[in-house]
Amino acid sequence: MASLPARFEPCQAEVSRALETFVPDAPGSRVVLAMRYTLLAPSKRVRAILAMFAADVCSAGGAGRARAAACAIEAIHAASLMLDDLPSMDNAPLRRGRPAAHIVFGEAVTVLAAFGLLNAAFASLAKSYEPPLAARLAGVAGDAIGLDGLVAGQAEDVLATDASINFDTLERIHRRKTGALFGAAAVAGGMTAGGNEYELAALSAYAKNLGLAFQIVDDLLDVTGDPAETGKATRTDARKTTFVSFSGVAGARQLAGELCDTAIAALAPFGSRATGLTELARFVAARRL
Amino acid sequence: MSDRPLDELREELRARGYLDARVDRFVLGAAARRERPLGVAAAASIRIGLLAGVLLGPAAAIGLRSRAPGLVTNALDAAVLSVYLGVLFGIAASILSGLAILAGSAIARRPGSDTTRPRRHRRAAAATGVLVGLACLAYLTLWWRTASGLAGGTSIASSLAAITVAVTISLLLGHAVAVTILACLVRLGLAPEVRDLPMSSLRSTVPLGLVALAGAFGLLLAAGPGTVEPPEPPRLTVVPSGLRSVVLAVDGADPEIIDRLSGAGRVPTFTSLLGQGVATIAADADRDPARVWTTIATGQPPDRHGIRALESREVAGLAGRLRADSSGWALLAGATDVLRLTRPAIASGDERLIPTFWEVAARAGFRSAAVHWWATWPAPPHSGIVVSDRAILRLEHPGALDAEIAPAALYERLQASWPDRRAKAIARAERLNISGVSAETAAALRRSAELDATIAGLALETSDGTLDLLTVYLPGLDIAQSALSGAAGRGLTPAAAAERGPALERYYEFIDGLLAEIVTAIPVKDRLVVLMMQPGRAAAPATLGRLALQGPVVQSTRVTLASTAIAPTLLYALGLPIARDLAAGPATELFDPAFVARYPVRLMDTYGPRGSAARARTGQGLDREMIERMRSLGYVR
Repeated sequence: MASLPARFEPCQAEVSRALETFVPDAPGSRVVLAMRYTLLAPSKRVRAILAMFAADVCSAGGAGRARAAACAIEAIHAASLMLDDLPSMDNAPLRRGRPAAHIVFGEAVTVLAAFGLLNAAFASLAKSYEPPLAARLAGVAGDAIGLDGLVAGQAEDVLATDASINFDTLERIHRRKTGALFGAAAVAGGMTAGGNEYELAALSAYAKNLGLAFQIVDDLLDVTGDPAETGKATRTDARKTTFVSFSGVAGARQLAGELCDTAIAALAPFGSRATGLTELARFVAARRL
Repeated sequence: MSDRPLDELREELRARGYLDARVDRFVLGAAARRERPLGVAAAASIRIGLLAGVLLGPAAAIGLRSRAPGLVTNALDAAVLSVYLGVLFGIAASILSGLAILAGSAIARRPGSDTTRPRRHRRAAAATGVLVGLACLAYLTLWWRTASGLAGGTSIASSLAAITVAVTISLLLGHAVAVTILACLVRLGLAPEVRDLPMSSLRSTVPLGLVALAGAFGLLLAAGPGTVEPPEPPRLTVVPSGLRSVVLAVDGADPEIIDRLSGAGRVPTFTSLLGQGVATIAADADRDPARVWTTIATGQPPDRHGIRALESREVAGLAGRLRADSSGWALLAGATDVLRLTRPAIASGDERLIPTFWEVAARAGFRSAAVHWWATWPAPPHSGIVVSDRAILRLEHPGALDAEIAPAALYERLQASWPDRRAKAIARAERLNISGVSAETAAALRRSAELDATIAGLALETSDGTLDLLTVYLPGLDIAQSALSGAAGRGLTPAAAAERGPALERYYEFIDGLLAEIVTAIPVKDRLVVLMMQPGRAAAPATLGRLALQGPVVQSTRVTLASTAIAPTLLYALGLPIARDLAAGPATELFDPAFVARYPVRLMDTYGPRGSAARARTGQGLDREMIERMRSLGYVR
């Protein structure tokens, strides 16, 4: 299902190969099977690509050094999806074109598999980089998951289901659930390539706008998409307030485009080195799945 | 949930840090593909120049319109001028901002501790931006002050609007420079992110830019011609002296030659006129005839009367003209002429800001005629008889009148008598006693004599014996001297050079005869004859001009005057009040004490402006013919 522009395919394939060994197969272990089921499912690997391209703009050829961080980000993302789809949360039956993990492995194993992926991510960061950088990367990942990241965003999202929320709350949920991990991917990628604080700040501004654009497009696809194309159930957000609720389909599409434009503009200091990230933003704005 | 306005959602997102790239997309857009800081600076400077050109072009056009009266005659002129100045300012701003960016970047890159570096980078960028903004603001404020001063003041609202526009433009340019410096430093891996700088997004830059642009255009149109009625001319209360004046202006007359010829009895009219009240005109090295004679006619220096030079420039696409009043201008004019952006034009009345003495007299009700004076075209319809400096060309090229002669009815009469008048002038010039000189010298003198005789004939024809004031300008002597002694004469053989002196002396005799005839246009009773002489273009710098008065109330005396005192002296003699804003007062010492006691100098604040100089062209223009004529007479090259 992961239909990406050709430019991203080598990077996508590199990450997919690395993820094969990220959680080694353990025949007979149902929890490892559940971890690999979600982690290795067909995916665009947008966050991993973001991390590797971010490394590339800070240092030519830096993508390779960012591979481990990119895989860790993908693992964190997969864990969040597993938890997000649970019956106690979104109760989503489909993910990445297949039955969600909790449908296949049951709720208990899915919860354990998610925790396993999170731990594997931190372990990978600790083992793949020298201690000072590993510590900084762990901090970035922890922040993205923690009280101003995925956990807090998911909690607020669950509580907001069937409730009317204001724009402020919606933005906060999106920032934590989606934007935080986008930001972590870009900054972590930049860090592995030795990016200075100014470059990291520019990457952060890029990721912040791109993350929200990505989420708005997700909201749009939930309304207008076809499950056969998107690989997940649609209209699952009917009980939720989304950007489409506030601005309508056309307005949400317009805002997503403007956010992507802004993200691209934030890359101006990098010049032609940022061509990959620019294309990634354009892909996000135009994606149909 | 109902859809909310998109703008509202944008604002909310912006407040949360989205939709803000923290770089000026417009300014840095062109720099995005440049790898080296120098490339970033160059690319961004071009965008800054573009921004400056769009914003400063209309603003500068307002200033230039005030400094160059007659240049902007309609809205199209204003728009075209804005484009020209926009290009000029755009290029200048590109260069200056590029230098500022490089300088600011160099300062920010000085070695320092890592902990202080980000702050210093931001400060250096901001300081450079502030300096650029302040320089821009100072310039804009100064031009506005100059513009409003020349326009005779302006309202508080207009000034407030102008300052608002200036501040906005300055902020934009200063910000653009600061942002670009930071971008250069980012490219070097040194700079902070571009945050906390005002107006860092296109969404604030574009509206502010539009405000500045609209404001500047609004001011331009508001200050443009036709939107403000010219003030009513001040009322002139006359205490008639009973004198009727004939004013004879002889350009190129050398007092030493006249004195020598007078001693030999060869110029009786000069001798007679110089025998009563005589003033030496204080040394003035100015030799530009249009400027000098307009100073004499208005009683004000060039920066007040507006005629800066004989030669001005027509600008492509503009109906108005640009004056040439600096040496640097000559180089620029040469370049723009080659590019066909400008072409030479002769100073005209459209550029003159204040009235001449005969216009003041006509406004006061005197019957006045002025013949062939500099910058009298286009002849205003209500300033008595004006046979302008283009009248002869019009009579030579019959066609619809283009304000060469006023009133228009006079044109028909002069046209009817023109063939006869012309033939007489040619015949008279042929009789000039210059036998024994080379054909070259003879041709130069005869051509001048023909012109002077034609002017004298026109002066006599316009005068029907009822005039109170007849003013005649005779350029022939200056033209002849310039042709024989000036640049055109440098290639003469020694023999030809030796013959110039006697030939010129005979021309003085010729002029003397013409003056005697013109004087008769005013009846002898109560006649005041005023002879003005200026050294002309070919004279040595130390040569002085002279003013001579002859009449029943003139005292025999010798004084020294400034050239600006001539106009008030003439107006005083007619019985008019003297404007306090003139550069000099009347030379009462030239008149009998009894006359002065009977007619004390009366003062008034001002004669006011000349009135709306800009006008729509009518009739068949003679611009090209005028240039060719001036070229053939040696006035322009």
